[in-house]
Amino acid sequence: MTSRTLRRRAAAGTPGFLKRSQPRWTERVVKVLLVAAALVSVLTTVGIVVALIPPVVEFFGKVDLGEFITGTDWSPLFEPPHFGVLPLVTATLVVTVIALLVAVPLGLGAAVYLSEYAGHRVRGTFKPVLEVLAGIPTVVYGFFALKAITPFLQRFWPGDDPPEVFNALSAGFVMGIMIIPTIASLAEDSMAAVPRSLRDGAYALGSSRMQVSTRVVFPAALSGIVAAVVLGVSRAIGETMIVAIAAGGRPNLTFDPLEGMQTMTAFIAAAGIGDLPTGSTGYQTIFAVGLLLFAITLVMNLISIRLVRRYREVYE
Amino acid sequence: MTTPPGHGPGGTRPPQPARSVTLPPSETVFEVGGLSVFYGDHEAVRDVNMNIGARQITAMIGPSGCGKSTVLRCFNRMNDLLPGARVAGKVRYHNEDLYGREVDPIEVRRRIGMVFQKPNPFPKSIYDNIAYGPRVGGFKGNLDDLVEETLTHAALWDEVKDKLRTSALALSGGQQQRLCIARTIAVEPEVILMDEPCSSLDPIATAKIEDLMEHLAQEFTIIVVTHNMQQAARVSEQTAFFSSEIDGSGVRHGRLIEFDETGTLFSNPSDQRTEDYISGRFG
Repeated sequence: MTSRTLRRRAAAGTPGFLKRSQPRWTERVVKVLLVAAALVSVLTTVGIVVALIPPVVEFFGKVDLGEFITGTDWSPLFEPPHFGVLPLVTATLVVTVIALLVAVPLGLGAAVYLSEYAGHRVRGTFKPVLEVLAGIPTVVYGFFALKAITPFLQRFWPGDDPPEVFNALSAGFVMGIMIIPTIASLAEDSMAAVPRSLRDGAYALGSSRMQVSTRVVFPAALSGIVAAVVLGVSRAIGETMIVAIAAGGRPNLTFDPLEGMQTMTAFIAAAGIGDLPTGSTGYQTIFAVGLLLFAITLVMNLISIRLVRRYREVYE
Repeated sequence: MTTPPGHGPGGTRPPQPARSVTLPPSETVFEVGGLSVFYGDHEAVRDVNMNIGARQITAMIGPSGCGKSTVLRCFNRMNDLLPGARVAGKVRYHNEDLYGREVDPIEVRRRIGMVFQKPNPFPKSIYDNIAYGPRVGGFKGNLDDLVEETLTHAALWDEVKDKLRTSALALSGGQQQRLCIARTIAVEPEVILMDEPCSSLDPIATAKIEDLMEHLAQEFTIIVVTHNMQQAARVSEQTAFFSSEIDGSGVRHGRLIEFDETGTLFSNPSDQRTEDYISGRFG
């Protein structure tokens, strides 16, 4: 027995022998640092909302809320100004829907393939490549949309009415490509986490691979899959560079994806880098649109949380 | 199982010729010859030969790592799902080569169902668990009737009839396992493979599963892997004893040591290794 062990044994029974033998201040310091790290993101979110509120309040002192929400004409920086935000909202909606039409089927298809069909080696190569796609700067995607996809569409458009130089279709399509890795990677993680025993049970009942994927793995992984799609939607709504470059800067109340249109984010970017004097109504519109954007994403997140609670299949 | 006095486990016994199986002649379901299973380069099980009869319970016993579960998973081609697993030798099911070129593993698994070690109900309702197999198999009849019949058959109906739409995961472990058995028979297989079906259950739940197994053996052929020798002795007609052996080149692999009528294997084993195992001297 070592002398240390002997000393410890001898101490047993003396008063206070169970007291802490070493100071543990490092434990406390580490904890404080970790809490601080966690708080940064929470405080930033709160800070953004707080910073948005005063200019927005001032804005709605001058502009009628009803006009803002239902107005169809957006020209806040011209004389006379109009503050109907609908054209920006519909533009965001159109581009986002196009992006999702591209990204959800392809992203979930890739996830099902990687999780249920691909062998170890294929998955090991594919996933990193997919994640590199997520690291391409969005400005590159924007120029890809404007300089490659739009000319391609204009050249090979089957109808008489080819897309405009700036159009929502190219922007939405490329944005969809951009968010595929986000959706695929997160959805794959959540499908891979479904226990093997469930798959075995399904195979043992005579399921095909497709049936195992769609009827057992997919529903069991639903909450992660929805989270992946929601994150994709949030990225699409918040994406700025692609739409600013490829969809144009003209507020346009239309659902025709072949026309140019300005999204909420594209407006904020364009107005934000302009020379609007602080405190002017034009300057405050940026905050109003920003808060609306924030509210839309928030509502969407809340809806998806409820959907997930209702439909997911909880294992274990 | 009855043990003559003085001939119990560990007792001395005069050498006897191996007794022939006294069961009524039964149709052979599986014919296994020279079966070896490889995981990558490793031969996990070597040269297994056995015939399994219809509508009776065959137990497979033996120490951990002896390859009994591996052999069980050959009967419905579950080993196909493990990367690197390979099967050599003959497994014939009603005279058809289970590993033949034309054989569809999905079709195999609809005829040869499996119940696993840990209850693994789907995270769906009780109803949907039972309906799953028929649905993926393209069942066209009345599902409600099928679910009721199946659950009645599995002696689970009275316990769950009022909560068919609640999650199967809310059931107790024993009920979950009986649900998994019910889910298997809903597909109307001929054979049910059970891989240590009671190893995670308490004795009362285990007794219920054993009752169910004996009841089901009137119509189904059951092969059960178990760690529990009493269980094998209680429920099975035939028992296969597996053990792991080290060959001349130092490689460990599972072997079938002895396969006989259960009563004979336990009271009068013909191999010393079987006797050592069942009398608790080994494993």
